[in-house]
Amino acid sequence: MQLEEQSYGSVAVICVIGRLDNATAPTLGEHLSKALDTSQGLLLELSRLEYISSAGFRVLLVAAKRARQSGAQVVLAGLSGQVRQLFEVGGFLKLFRVCDTREDGLSALR
Amino acid sequence: MKRPADFAYWLDELPPPGVVFLSALQHVGLICSLIAIPLAVAREAGLAPDQTVNLVAVSMLVLGITTILQTLQRGPIGSGLLAPSSFSGAYLAPSLMAAKLGGLPLVFGMTILGGLFEAALSRGLRYLRPFLPPEIAGFVVVLVGVGVGGLGVRYVLGVGMPEPASHRELGVAMLTLGVMVGLNVWGRGMPRLFCALIGMLCGYVVALGLGVLGEDDFARVMAAPGFRLPQVGDLGWSFDGALVFPFVIGAVAACLKTVGDLTICQRINDADWARPELRGISRGTLANAIGTSLAGVVGTTGLATSTSSIGLAGATGVTSRRVGHATGAILILLAFLPQFSELLSIMPRALMGAALMFVAAFIFVSGLQIIASRLLDVRRTFVIGLSFISAIAVDISPEYFKTLPAVLQPLVSSSMVTGMVMAILLNLVFRIGTRQVQRLEIGADGVDPRALGEFMDACGASWGARRDVIERAKFNLQQSIETLAGSGLADGPLLAEASFDEFTLSIRVSYAGVPLELPERRPSDDEIMESDEGERRLAGFMLRKFADRVAATHRNGRSIVSFQFIH
Repeated sequence: MQLEEQSYGSVAVICVIGRLDNATAPTLGEHLSKALDTSQGLLLELSRLEYISSAGFRVLLVAAKRARQSGAQVVLAGLSGQVRQLFEVGGFLKLFRVCDTREDGLSALR
Repeated sequence: MKRPADFAYWLDELPPPGVVFLSALQHVGLICSLIAIPLAVAREAGLAPDQTVNLVAVSMLVLGITTILQTLQRGPIGSGLLAPSSFSGAYLAPSLMAAKLGGLPLVFGMTILGGLFEAALSRGLRYLRPFLPPEIAGFVVVLVGVGVGGLGVRYVLGVGMPEPASHRELGVAMLTLGVMVGLNVWGRGMPRLFCALIGMLCGYVVALGLGVLGEDDFARVMAAPGFRLPQVGDLGWSFDGALVFPFVIGAVAACLKTVGDLTICQRINDADWARPELRGISRGTLANAIGTSLAGVVGTTGLATSTSSIGLAGATGVTSRRVGHATGAILILLAFLPQFSELLSIMPRALMGAALMFVAAFIFVSGLQIIASRLLDVRRTFVIGLSFISAIAVDISPEYFKTLPAVLQPLVSSSMVTGMVMAILLNLVFRIGTRQVQRLEIGADGVDPRALGEFMDACGASWGARRDVIERAKFNLQQSIETLAGSGLADGPLLAEASFDEFTLSIRVSYAGVPLELPERRPSDDEIMESDEGERRLAGFMLRKFADRVAATHRNGRSIVSFQFIH
C-alpha cells in the first residue's frame, strides 16, 4: 500500500493506493489519526484502492468515530467497481459522505 | 426482475399511444435497414423486379409476426421481451451459396431447415454451453460482421460484378455511409436514433440526382397499387443435401446471436441482473427459430433478433411489450403496401453496400466485446486466433480451397463455416489437459495476497470464466485466507481448491482448526471497532454476501469453508 498525503488549509487529503488488508491497515490507521489531530476535514481518495478487507474497514470505522467526536468531517471520493461494491455490501456507504471525484470531495469539505 | 429506476416505460407498463407509435416507428426504421440482406440474396439470384417487390412484402410480414411472437410470455414460445426481429447476417453466406446453386427456391427450402435446426438447438442450450462458450459465440458474431461488411464492400466497389462501381455510385455510397456515421457520432435526439434511415433517404435522393437511380425507377414506385396481398411462397422451395452443413452452421450462428441479444435484453430490463435466465432465452430462441422457418415458407431469408433495436430500447428506456406489438403491427401493415416494398426493392447497389458496412461495424465490435468479457489463456487465444486465421484464409485464397476433395468442400464453403468449425474443434482439443480443479497450498502464516489473486486469474483464464465472477471469487479467497491465517483460526497449512463446470465456480478452503463463522447479520459498528472477533464476523458476513452460496463445516479437527458463484 502507498499513501499520498496533501493538505489544503484545514483539509487533509490522503490518497490510498494498492491493497488495504490486515498487513497495511495499521499504517493507514496511524496516518488517519495524525491527520485528524491537525485537520477539520479529511478526504480519503480511493480511486486507486485495489482491495479492501475487513481490517481496512475497521480502520475506517475507527477514523469516522474519532472524527465525529472531534467535530471533523470525513469524506470518501473515487469509489468505483468492486471496491464500491464491497462498501455497499458491508453497509459502509451510509456511514460516510461519498463524492464521485476528489474535486467534489474538496468542495464538500470547504 | 426489478424495474430499472431510470426507465420511462418498463415491460408491463402501458405508454400513451403517441409514445407507442413513435417508438414502434423507430424500431421499424432500424429493422428496415437490414432488408439489404434478403435484397442482396435476391440480387445474386437475379430476381425480377416485380418478384423483388413481393420478397420485400413477405419479409415485412414475417418480421412483424416474429416480433409479436417474441413478446409472448406464456407457453414455450417467446422471451416476453421487446426484442424485435431483423434479418440475420448469419444466414447470408449459406443463402448466397444456395442462390448460386439452385436459385431462391433452394434458399427458402434450406432456410426452413435452418429454422428447424435452430428450434432443436433452443431446447438444448444448457447442454451446449461447454461446447459453445461465450468467446466462441463472440467469435461467431465477429465472423458475421466480417461477412456482412465484406459483402457491403463488394457492393460499394462493384467487385465481382459485371462492371466496377462508377464514380457516381461511389459518391452515393460514401455520402450514405457518411450521413449514417456522422449522425450516429455527432447527432443528438431523433436524428441520431434515425441515422440509418436518414442516411438511406439521403442516399436515395443523391442516387436520383446523380442518375444512379433512373426516374423510371421512381415512376414504378408511384405506379404501384395502394394495397396488395403479399404472395406467400410463390417461388416454391427446394432442398439440397450439400447445403445442409452450411445452413446448420448458419443456424448455430443465428442461435448464438439471438442468445447474446436476449441476454443483453434481460440485463437492461433488470436492475438486479446477475446472470442470464436460460428458460426465457430458450423460449426467445424458439420464437426466432419459428420466425426463420416461417421466413423460408413465405419466401425470404433467416432471422435473428435486432441488436440495434435492443440497444435503442435500452437507450430510450422504453421496453414496454406494447411497443413490440405496435412494431409488429406496423411491419405487417407495410407488407400490404406495395409502394413501400417497391421503394425498398429499387435500392441501388451502392446504397445497399453502405448500409451493410454501417451495420457490420456494430456487429463486428459487439462480437469483440463478447470475446473480451472472458479471461483468455493461451489455449483460448489459439482457439480464437487460429480459427480467425483459418476463416480469413478461405476468403484470401478461395482457389486453393476449391482444389480440396469434395468431401471437405462443405467445411470450406465460407469463411464463417470454416472459422466456426475450427473454433469448435480446437475448443474440444484444448479441453484435453485443462484441469477443472486447481489447488494451491498455503503456509500457516499466510501467503502473499497477490499470489492468491494470480492463482484465481490463472484459473479464470484456463476455464474462460467471466471476469466479474473471477473478481468476486478472488475477493472471497483473499479475505478468507487473510482471516483464517491472520487470526489464528487455522492451526497449520491451508489448502485452497477452485473448480469450475461452466455453471458454477466453487472455492473450497480446508485447514486444521476452528471453523469460520459466516453470520447472516452484519455485526454492529461498535462490535467491529472494539474486538478482533467483531472484525472476523464482518469478514464472515461479507464473504457470505459476496458469494451465491456459502458453507462452513468442521469434522475430525478439520474445517472447510466453501463458496459457490453461479456463472
